[in-house]
Amino acid sequence: MRPLTLRRLLLQCFALLLILFVVVVIAIKFGAVPVSLYALGRDLWNVLLHQRSNISSDYVLIIQNIRLPRILLGIMVGASLSVAGTSFQALLRNPLADPYVLGVSSGAGLGAILALIVEPHVVLSPVFAALLTPLGAFLGAAATVTVVYLLGRREGQIDSTTLLLGGVITASFISAIIMFLMSTLTGNLRGLSFWLMGDLSTPLQKSVYWFLGIGFLIASGAIYTTASDLNLLLAGEKEAMHLGVDVPRVRLVVYIAASLLTGLAVSVSGAIGYVGLIVPHVMRLIFGSDHRTLLPTAAIGGAIAVVFADTLARTIVAPNELAVGAVTAVVGAPLFIYLLRRRLA
Amino acid sequence: MSSLAKQLFQTVTFAAATLLLGTAPSRAQSASLSSSTSPVYHEVTDETGRSVRIPQPVRRIVSLAPSLTETVYALGLQDRLVGDTEFCDYPPDAQKKTKVGGAINPSIEQIAALHPDLVLATKGLNRLETVHALDNLGISSYATDPHTVNDIIASSKKLADLLGVPDAGASVAAEMEHHLVALQQHLASSPAKRVLFVVWHQPLISVGKHTFIADALRYAGAVSIVDAEQDWPQVSLEEAVRLQPDYLVFAASHSEASPPGLEALSTLPGWSILEAVANRRYAVISDAVNRPAPRIVSAIEELARQLHPDAFVEKPQNLSEKSAKEKMEKEKTGKDKDEKTPPPPIQPPHLAFSLLSGGLRGSDAVPGGRACAR
Repeated sequence: MRPLTLRRLLLQCFALLLILFVVVVIAIKFGAVPVSLYALGRDLWNVLLHQRSNISSDYVLIIQNIRLPRILLGIMVGASLSVAGTSFQALLRNPLADPYVLGVSSGAGLGAILALIVEPHVVLSPVFAALLTPLGAFLGAAATVTVVYLLGRREGQIDSTTLLLGGVITASFISAIIMFLMSTLTGNLRGLSFWLMGDLSTPLQKSVYWFLGIGFLIASGAIYTTASDLNLLLAGEKEAMHLGVDVPRVRLVVYIAASLLTGLAVSVSGAIGYVGLIVPHVMRLIFGSDHRTLLPTAAIGGAIAVVFADTLARTIVAPNELAVGAVTAVVGAPLFIYLLRRRLA
Repeated sequence: MSSLAKQLFQTVTFAAATLLLGTAPSRAQSASLSSSTSPVYHEVTDETGRSVRIPQPVRRIVSLAPSLTETVYALGLQDRLVGDTEFCDYPPDAQKKTKVGGAINPSIEQIAALHPDLVLATKGLNRLETVHALDNLGISSYATDPHTVNDIIASSKKLADLLGVPDAGASVAAEMEHHLVALQQHLASSPAKRVLFVVWHQPLISVGKHTFIADALRYAGAVSIVDAEQDWPQVSLEEAVRLQPDYLVFAASHSEASPPGLEALSTLPGWSILEAVANRRYAVISDAVNRPAPRIVSAIEELARQLHPDAFVEKPQNLSEKSAKEKMEKEKTGKDKDEKTPPPPIQPPHLAFSLLSGGLRGSDAVPGGRACAR
């Protein structure tokens, strides 16, 4: 492991941000409604010069009110899922861990659905009502992580295979409950089934973006404080303890923070799979497994992956839309198999 | 002299026209730039109970459901329709409109790019999220939610009022009511047939009692054997066998002329136990029955004629102008018989649901929860 320098970290992040910028420009340009790069540049120029009267109304309507919020959402969701995946992989010392595989996304989905069911029966101010679903998703994610963690423990140590199986079984159990809820309840659950596949198409209220952004900064910040501990944890829980890591504290912090990230992401976008699995792997291959580098690069990488996948989802069958979860699965699963074979070879 | 006057008149009108045309667009431009300069809004409560503000007059309409597209056409407002869905195939002209995607997952930006004054949605088909998304963009939307044939009539009327053509609405409603009343006279003495409306056959999906389709069946002198609270219940074949419907009713899309399908039904395990299948008592009607729009009345009539052919052969005896009426009636039924004698092209039921497939796609995904199963 080469020693970490701030300079190198910034350089790596800058390179990734550059890629993210290119992807964002692509995402702004392409969509059901064609927008020429020239018109885009002209409008951007007018925005910069504060000449609002010269901006075409399509620019405001489509780029500013539809595509940009969606891209922003993709960035936050991708970063959240990717950071959550990275920390689950470190904490569970399992390269296959990911919010989706572990059932945490399903748990968050169930929590969000329960919140939606409860919502009409409680009187809340609009701001709190908007936060009820993320809150339910967070609680669902946290509860699932606890269950899966307990399932995966054998004789005080995490057993990798048991953990993954526990996650898969929990996920299928939870989806059975979701199925049951959806077939018994009537009303607006059809939209939910679309949402469960992973969907970024619904513009959200401004407050939700703030909530997401602040939640992401706090949770990933908390995880970043444990980055060095996570490096030591790769050697094993006991070994890390001997090296002076306060393992229970790190575990608690990372579990809560990663559940929060998963819950936030799922509550606004449904279950988008493979991002939390693939992106950390790719980043590890490129930048090494030092979590002080891995966490920020994975965050940006996740943003790139989701924004790109969503652009594909918007454009492949335009003017229809695919669920972005389908795109990440189609791209992610083969890539995952490739990584797996490579690891075995 | 008179020709000179004419010329003068023409010049003046021409000048006035150019002035008008010349100034109008620039005024429109300035209005759109400072878009908040309060155009006239009309505040109404739509059928889902949302209170919505609709700019007046409504010049540009986007429809998110085939039924709404048909209603707009029925009201004669097709020129104001600037966009509709891929499922909007009737009247054929509707296929030429700009498509905004499907009903479940339309492209919000495509809708926005059409600058609609009003987007029409229907609760049974579209997603609430779509309407919310439009709300967030400040695009007015109005949602219908008809559960009976009467609702459809009322809904068409309300839409007509909203769009500023109350007269067209009244005449569409009167026309529908007229046909339905006439139909009830025909069917007055025929006991209702017990039917199974097949929305989908594998798995068997039928209609619940709160759907407009169940109500349409009632108007056609039929009663659904399925009595479910859910709108699109999955019915066990066992239950269908226990209830033994007199007829199976299928809706066939007019655009699809592909052969067999129904014949294959009798070879499916289980289905042959149904007496209606064993005796080929099928009624195949236009998929207009799937669409809560004025045209549903024709599908109702079609079904009534297939289920109660007798009621249309012997004419109902009504008083005075008997002979004349009788003659007309005879002609009518004769014509209808002609139309009917080549039995309607039998179409595979699974191809027939161009409209509902959109609505059902969602519930298809329900058992999936695929994302979670992983």
